[in-house]
Amino acid sequence: MVINIIILIALVTAALWTAMTTRLLRSAVGLAITSAILSILIFRLASPIAAVFELSVCAGLIFAIFIISITVTQRVTPEAFETRKKERMTKFWPLPIIVIIAAVVLTQIHFQTTFNLPAQTTPNDVKIILWNLRHLDLLGQIVILLTGAFGVVILFKEWKNG
Amino acid sequence: MLSLFLLLPFLGIIALNLPVKGRRDAAAFLYTLSLSIGQAIVVLFNPGDFWAKPDFWGGFFNLGLYADNLTFVMLLSIGIVVSTAVCVGWQTISDHRQRLNFYNLVLIALIGMNGTVMLTDIFSLYVFLEVTAISSFILIAFHRDLNALEGAFKYIVLSALATVLMLTSIAALLLFSGGTSFAAVSAAVKSNSGNVIVIIAVSLFICGLFIKGGLVPFHGWLPAAYSAAPAAVSILLAGIVTKVAGIYVLIRLVRDVFGPISEISSVLMLVGTFSIIVGALAALKQDNFKKILAYSSISQVGYIVLGLGCGSPLGIAGAIFHLFNHSIFKSLLFVNSAAVEKQTGSTDITKMGGLGSRMPYSNATNLIAIFSTSGIPPMAGFWSKLVIIMALWQMGHFTYAAIAILVSVITLAYLLAIQRKVFFGILPQELKHIKEAGIWIVIPAVTLAIIIIGTGLCFPLLFKSFLMPVSSFFK
Amino acid sequence: MNANMLLLPVIIPLLAGILILLVRRLRGIISLLATGSILIIAIALFKQQLTYSLPWLGFGIDFNLRLYPFSAFILLSITALSFLVMLYSCSFMQGKNYLNQFYAYFLITIGLASGAVLADNLVLMLFFWEGLLITLFGFIAIGGKDAFKTATKMFIIVGVSDLCMMIGIGIVWYLTGTMTISTLNVPLNTLGCTAFVLMMIGAIAKGGSMPFHTWIPDAAIDAPLPFMAILPGCLEKLLGIYLLVRITMDMFKLTPGSLLSSLLMIIGAVTIVLAVMMALIQKDYKKLLSYHAISQVGYMILGIGTCLPAGIIGGLFHMINNALYKNCLFLTAGSVEKQTGTTNLNKLGGLWSKMPVTAVCFLITAASISGVPPFNGFFSKEMIYGAALERGTIFYIAALLGSFLTAASFLKLGHAVYFGKRNQENENTRESSLPMLIPMIVIAAVCVFFGLYNRFAVSYFLEPVLAGQEFTEHTSTLLIALTVIVLIVAILHHIIGAIVNGSGVKAADHIHHAPVLSGIYDRAEKRFFDPYEIGLKIVSIASNILFFLDRAVDWIYDGFTVKLAYGLSGAIKRLNTGNYSLYIIWSLLGGLIILILMFKGFGS
Repeated sequence: MVINIIILIALVTAALWTAMTTRLLRSAVGLAITSAILSILIFRLASPIAAVFELSVCAGLIFAIFIISITVTQRVTPEAFETRKKERMTKFWPLPIIVIIAAVVLTQIHFQTTFNLPAQTTPNDVKIILWNLRHLDLLGQIVILLTGAFGVVILFKEWKNG
Repeated sequence: MLSLFLLLPFLGIIALNLPVKGRRDAAAFLYTLSLSIGQAIVVLFNPGDFWAKPDFWGGFFNLGLYADNLTFVMLLSIGIVVSTAVCVGWQTISDHRQRLNFYNLVLIALIGMNGTVMLTDIFSLYVFLEVTAISSFILIAFHRDLNALEGAFKYIVLSALATVLMLTSIAALLLFSGGTSFAAVSAAVKSNSGNVIVIIAVSLFICGLFIKGGLVPFHGWLPAAYSAAPAAVSILLAGIVTKVAGIYVLIRLVRDVFGPISEISSVLMLVGTFSIIVGALAALKQDNFKKILAYSSISQVGYIVLGLGCGSPLGIAGAIFHLFNHSIFKSLLFVNSAAVEKQTGSTDITKMGGLGSRMPYSNATNLIAIFSTSGIPPMAGFWSKLVIIMALWQMGHFTYAAIAILVSVITLAYLLAIQRKVFFGILPQELKHIKEAGIWIVIPAVTLAIIIIGTGLCFPLLFKSFLMPVSSFFK
Repeated sequence: MNANMLLLPVIIPLLAGILILLVRRLRGIISLLATGSILIIAIALFKQQLTYSLPWLGFGIDFNLRLYPFSAFILLSITALSFLVMLYSCSFMQGKNYLNQFYAYFLITIGLASGAVLADNLVLMLFFWEGLLITLFGFIAIGGKDAFKTATKMFIIVGVSDLCMMIGIGIVWYLTGTMTISTLNVPLNTLGCTAFVLMMIGAIAKGGSMPFHTWIPDAAIDAPLPFMAILPGCLEKLLGIYLLVRITMDMFKLTPGSLLSSLLMIIGAVTIVLAVMMALIQKDYKKLLSYHAISQVGYMILGIGTCLPAGIIGGLFHMINNALYKNCLFLTAGSVEKQTGTTNLNKLGGLWSKMPVTAVCFLITAASISGVPPFNGFFSKEMIYGAALERGTIFYIAALLGSFLTAASFLKLGHAVYFGKRNQENENTRESSLPMLIPMIVIAAVCVFFGLYNRFAVSYFLEPVLAGQEFTEHTSTLLIALTVIVLIVAILHHIIGAIVNGSGVKAADHIHHAPVLSGIYDRAEKRFFDPYEIGLKIVSIASNILFFLDRAVDWIYDGFTVKLAYGLSGAIKRLNTGNYSLYIIWSLLGGLIILILMFKGFGS
């Protein structure tokens, strides 16, 4: 339980960093870290299949968002960069407070779900799930990573040069 | 053995990016071309037992792939359209590095599409749709000009919306099904029909697919993306990517997973008809060659969805046949637009005229494609539209059938406007020097035209042996 | 005699015609050989009774040919006259255009006409009959620059009447259940009468009677002359009257005094008088003759319409006489045209000494047509007069008036062409060549022969047609005297007219310019009374109205719909602003609508 809470705090910290960082690349890395921590958390909560899905979704979404950002943003001037760096703290200060308040509220409410969830049919081991049951997804994830690499090569790198 | 369709392109990507000296772009071209043509030929001539065998390297790569007749039709279309795009790409992209990147991305798109049509799991479906979509984003923005970036951006935004909708839907469906396989989801949907959450999940999934397929009113991204993309990418995108990502998945899910529920049917027919009308009307007033084709694509996709919504085996068979035909004739139209764009440097049809005398192959093949699109016998498009309309008639949807027939006339009107303004009429002075666009555009154009006519003429043969079996294991 | 022989008169000309179209040379020899051979066959077949049958379309429609005295006689006339006109054409048509087509049409026409005469099945007959319509069209159409219009006019008039006949045949089939002509006996109830009238329209329209005549004078100007000589001059009369006799005698068995008989006689009488009135004022050789071609049909219809044996024999005798002299008259016109280059009466004159043979042939045949004794026309007309008088004095008077005007117009014609002052341009005119003279001489000689030996002609050729019915001539000395008086009056009238009006051409101008008649004539010349022209006017008014309606409907399709489509298209284009947030809103709205639809569907 203690470990879970530590992981949860790490998750929130990583998410906040992702939102507040000034560089795109750091932001993306932050998102990846957040996603990874979330997967660990889900796995620890005995839902390995959901953990695997979380990894897959993030692999796709990270790169989707990554490339969106790259293609639509302009490079800022150093002065603007400095001012933004200063504004950052003033701009994002409500965020941690909102997170804390939300956490308190959520712990006070007891969710009552009425769903009759079907019985667990998959083995409870993430290795088995990843390599034996979902290896098609694994292939897909690898290809998405490759695509992201190409995207960086084609769009980002040469965009910088041009 | 089905995993070969995924592994060969994958290995190709790895091999092509090894740091080896030499003309890697030519190697990439040859590899991609032979792979896609090989896929078409292999599927066409050996659809039987070979593919049902397990992989000879044992269980490791046993990816749980599955192929039925619908899959084979899609694999065939993918092979044909990808090889066309590969040829046109060689002709229209001149830089060696860019060519190599282009073929890498095409191979990725090939993996994405092949995976999409062969898998049997609703979550894997999401993964492979992402593979296809992300490679398409980069392909659209390939030349990094402002228009292309804008088109790519619109596609990304709406595609992301589609992804969110589909993921929400998958999450909701997981509440009822033990797993994410088609069989489990299908069973869950059937046993929980009428459940509010299931209905919402199914609706959201279908909405997501409508966005991917570009149906009205989810089509906003489509004209911009099609017209802004490089010529070869337009072919890929219009010919097959959106058809696999949107329409094939729709057919597969409606037919095998959600089942042809009457509510889904009526929604499909409504959206299909709406797309047919809006797409055709919007195409009437466009001046841009590729934009007309883009709106025409919306309209034709409407026919497919209308046939699917009809729900009868004949209607689904017609929809699949029209899907195949559409990928052929729309590719051919985009090949010709690529030829014209390459030679004149423009896609504005008001500035052209009389190119038919200079580009006889483009002229003739374009006319064939137009006739097929408008459903004029004996072209292939006539038969598929006929089957769809007959299916509608059989099921008593007379209004939809009448609209489908009427809009065919508008289709002919706007497509003939292209033919008249671009290929007929008087040649402007500044276009006197125009020649036929190179061999790698002419060859695919002629091949596609032959496929159109051949399919049209052999239709009576195909109907029993090829078309009806597509919907034979209709549940 | 082998029954297969019956096929030859049909097949030989058809094959020869096709051969000419394919080979494109030796047309004269092929044509003469073909027509000559069928003439020999027709002579050989004469007085034979043969039937030939071949299964054809089924449903009681077989390829039945039947030769009996009547059809044998008509066949003989057709082949003989065709041969002579063909001989004439070989010389006359030299240097003209479309020769291959001309000969091919000629031969095919003969083949089809033979087929129509021999056919013993109504549908088979109709088959040949309609085929004739096509060759007729081709014949006129090769004539010249205005010919196509005339050909169209003919096609519509004859086509409509053929359509009437087709309907008539349909009714006959409905009434009797058979198509075989020789076994038909149609009851004359209301439907039967309708059928008769419809078939009669087909027959008399082929014959060129009023009011189906208006294309003939036009064709006289446009079409090649041998065409006029052979088709309106003889073949069409033979066919039309043949069919008329068949339907009145065999198929329907009209009785004297019946309403239909009177109808026929009225048509005949009106045709005689009106057509000859028009003939009188013509200033063109061929056109004048063409009106006579119409007028003479009136006599035949009048004679047959009496339904008395004498009248029918008179009608038939007149038919063959008319075929002979009208043919010969057209040939003389061709002879004059060939040698002088014109048929305008004002430019002709005094050809007597230059073209004596032609002139003599003309005189004999003109006397025949005017009914001067002892030529053949006199005897046939006398028989018709007698029969007509028996049915009603008014018919007799009409016939006699026609006779007077015929004589007057031919006096005018002969005077204008062969006598009187010679035109300067015609000083060097010479007699025509031998191939053109021989047919004229032969026909004129036959005219004389049929006049002198009229009893023989009637009893040898015509009496078998009646198949045993006795006929008594109604002629009397009084009638003959009246005819002679009328002729003398006509001559006197011409002499006085020529002196008063100044020349032979203008001898009848006082009739032309008579107070009431002049107005009628003017309008008739302007085709005021032409049913075709009237029809055209009605059609053009109707088409104007329809055109207006069509524009309105067209506007709905072409204007309104297109505007609507473009308006919608423009609206859609404006909606596609390119703003992606708008697209997202659309998509979400669409999703919402779909959700609502799905729930509505499940709720109901």
